[in-house]
Amino acid sequence: MIGGFMQGHRKASLAIIGSQESYSTYFINKTETKNPNLGTVTTQALTAVGTYGLGYDLDLIVAAPYIRTEASAGYFPKQEGFQDASATLRWEAYDYKLGKKLRLSWLFAVGYSMPIQNYVNDAMVAIGRGSKNWDGRTMLHLKGKSFFITGQYGYIRRGQVTLDHVVNYYDPSQLNPNSGSKVNVPDVTEIIVRGGYVNTWLNLDVWGQQQTPYTKGTDIGPGIPFPTNAVGFTRLGATAYLRLAKQFGLTAGYNTIIDGRNVGKSSQINAGLVIGHWTANN
Amino acid sequence: MQPVGHVTATTMRLFFVRITLGALLVWVAGCSEPTIDEGVLPFIVPTSTDADGGSWKTVVLKAATDISVPQPLATTSAAYQQELADVKNGVLAATPEQNTAVNYWAYGAVLRWNQIARQLVAKYNVAPGYDYATGQTTPAESANPYAGPPYAARVYALLSAAQYDALVVAWRAKFQYNRPSLEQQGVISRAPVLDVPSYPSEDAAVAEVSCQVLAYLFPKEEAFLKAKATEHKQSRIWAGASVPSDVKAGEALAATLAPKVIDRVKADRFGAANDPTNTWQTALAKAPYDQKWTSLEIPARAPILPLAGKVKTWYDSTSIAKLVPAAPPATTSADFQKALSEVRDIATARTRDQSRIASYWDNGPNTYSLSGLWNLLTEEFIRENGQNELRAARTYSLLNRAMQDATTASWRTQYTYFVPRPSQIDPTIKTATVIPNTPSYVSDRAAVSSTAATLLSYLFPSDATKLTAQATEASLSGLYAGTHYRFDNDEGAKLGTAIGQLAVAAAKADGAK
Repeated sequence: MIGGFMQGHRKASLAIIGSQESYSTYFINKTETKNPNLGTVTTQALTAVGTYGLGYDLDLIVAAPYIRTEASAGYFPKQEGFQDASATLRWEAYDYKLGKKLRLSWLFAVGYSMPIQNYVNDAMVAIGRGSKNWDGRTMLHLKGKSFFITGQYGYIRRGQVTLDHVVNYYDPSQLNPNSGSKVNVPDVTEIIVRGGYVNTWLNLDVWGQQQTPYTKGTDIGPGIPFPTNAVGFTRLGATAYLRLAKQFGLTAGYNTIIDGRNVGKSSQINAGLVIGHWTANN
Repeated sequence: MQPVGHVTATTMRLFFVRITLGALLVWVAGCSEPTIDEGVLPFIVPTSTDADGGSWKTVVLKAATDISVPQPLATTSAAYQQELADVKNGVLAATPEQNTAVNYWAYGAVLRWNQIARQLVAKYNVAPGYDYATGQTTPAESANPYAGPPYAARVYALLSAAQYDALVVAWRAKFQYNRPSLEQQGVISRAPVLDVPSYPSEDAAVAEVSCQVLAYLFPKEEAFLKAKATEHKQSRIWAGASVPSDVKAGEALAATLAPKVIDRVKADRFGAANDPTNTWQTALAKAPYDQKWTSLEIPARAPILPLAGKVKTWYDSTSIAKLVPAAPPATTSADFQKALSEVRDIATARTRDQSRIASYWDNGPNTYSLSGLWNLLTEEFIRENGQNELRAARTYSLLNRAMQDATTASWRTQYTYFVPRPSQIDPTIKTATVIPNTPSYVSDRAAVSSTAATLLSYLFPSDATKLTAQATEASLSGLYAGTHYRFDNDEGAKLGTAIGQLAVAAAKADGAK
């Protein structure tokens, strides 16, 4: 998740974060359900995130996760592999001083992500949905001496994906719905609000994230390709960062989905190492 | 200190990056999402008129002469000349909506109604669901206790047989009365029209018989189907291909044929295929195999259409009954253990390409089914070879009847032996696709695909290599998925090939060259 703190010119950091996420309840459209033939789906991920300050007001952020996911019941096979690599440019367009202690900055970011490998994308238990995505967002970031609050709004434009099979579901709005393998992955909009305490050695924050399908999508169902589902969620989380040395720190977090649409009602714990310059204490 | 020039260059570069970033943001926000559509497909211009088509062997009718088409008015009559003048004026005054309909239906009457049937099968091939919260089987909106591969195969077979018979009758009347095509009378049509006598309209015959047969099979869709049929018939007048009396005669012959097809539908024993009294449990108990199949779903459910193996066949039922293979190796045998290990080995190290193949040929619940996929693939062959409506209907009729018979024979085998799926013997075997709730032996995918490839290779010999490769891949797909043993595929393919050969024999003897 892209934050509002800039990295600083020619400063770099690398974070290695491990996470575990699981759900046994999921949403078909907005209705909660369980599937005894699926049980609990557990996803473990190891993600590398590199951040580099190209300029005092321009950062490059790259990330690549390796994922393993499996279901506890039924016969869905385990899936494992690299998911989507992403690269994001973050630009601090304006920076205002508000009084002596407050700074307000207005940021923009553009990102692109694409699958690193051709993983299975049309399955209940899958690494990802396989689309190539553009991500555009803007952020307002208010920072005081020991607190901050960031609000951001983004639009994620998800490209088409090619399924392994011919599209086969009935959709009366399409002239001839069963003649090809290409489908649209619905775009989403995203709102994130994040705020917390920050000092030179400790950072504690809480956040809420809401993704809403923007373009038309389907609901989870047999015969319906998973990538075309309209996916949305409301997620609440908390993150902590503890700086142990000048160029070394630990991070840990927890987050949980409280409401969603065509998504697992999952909870995630994560922990990792941050090597290099920590962004929140510029 | 850095040289001044360098700093300037860096600043400039950052400046351009920011401009680009801004532009990208605008672009990302401003684009509208493309929708998936079929694009503009070129029309096929059939090469052969098949003037002898009226003498071809029919399927449901004993012969084309069973339905007599009344003599049309002479082209010199005032009434006909008025119709012709109206059509000419109508072509010139066609609205954009009419043109859309003209282009849609000019793609091919048989092809379009086949697509509509596939849509409807995909919509209704939905088994009642299971609600975890209530523990009840829930009837979904379109829930259909008959959902499954036999259901889909039957729809296509009945539709195609009806279309074919309607067209043989139409062809006979065309060349009997020889009312000249509109093109020969100076009408410039809006879409390519086959140069055959215009009376009766082949499009009207296909539209009416398809509408009536599908409306019988999908009663909830009657209004939708009638609207489609009306548009189809009208579109041929708007196109300048037929006059209203051509359309009316096509419609009338189809209306006489449809009840005869529906009589065949009622008598094919499919109505009892879902086995409401659960006789399959007795058959399971007596099954001549050392381990008994059980449903791997949670909770366990009755298998799909246990009595679909008893459905009336299109080709010779005695020959088909004899094709049912012997029992596979017992689970205690070395051969079986070898087959099981092969499934396990593939399941633990499944390649991406194996997953792709498994998914491509799966066409599981809530889809137009594997027979629907073969109808889609055949559409390409029909177009590439420029088959006229009658030829296209013959292709589909031969194919879909053979695929239904292959499905029936597979079902008969499955519910004779009740062989467990690999994951029942070894639960560590995870599958790339959902395990069909049917016994394992034989693979109906292998059977149906081998039937289709055998027949299509005969009809389209230049594509035989490709078709054989597709059938081989389809047969292996169950092994790659982890849902079938190799012996399921091999015996299924053997069964399917033999049924395909029955269809080839029928194709050789039906009078078409």
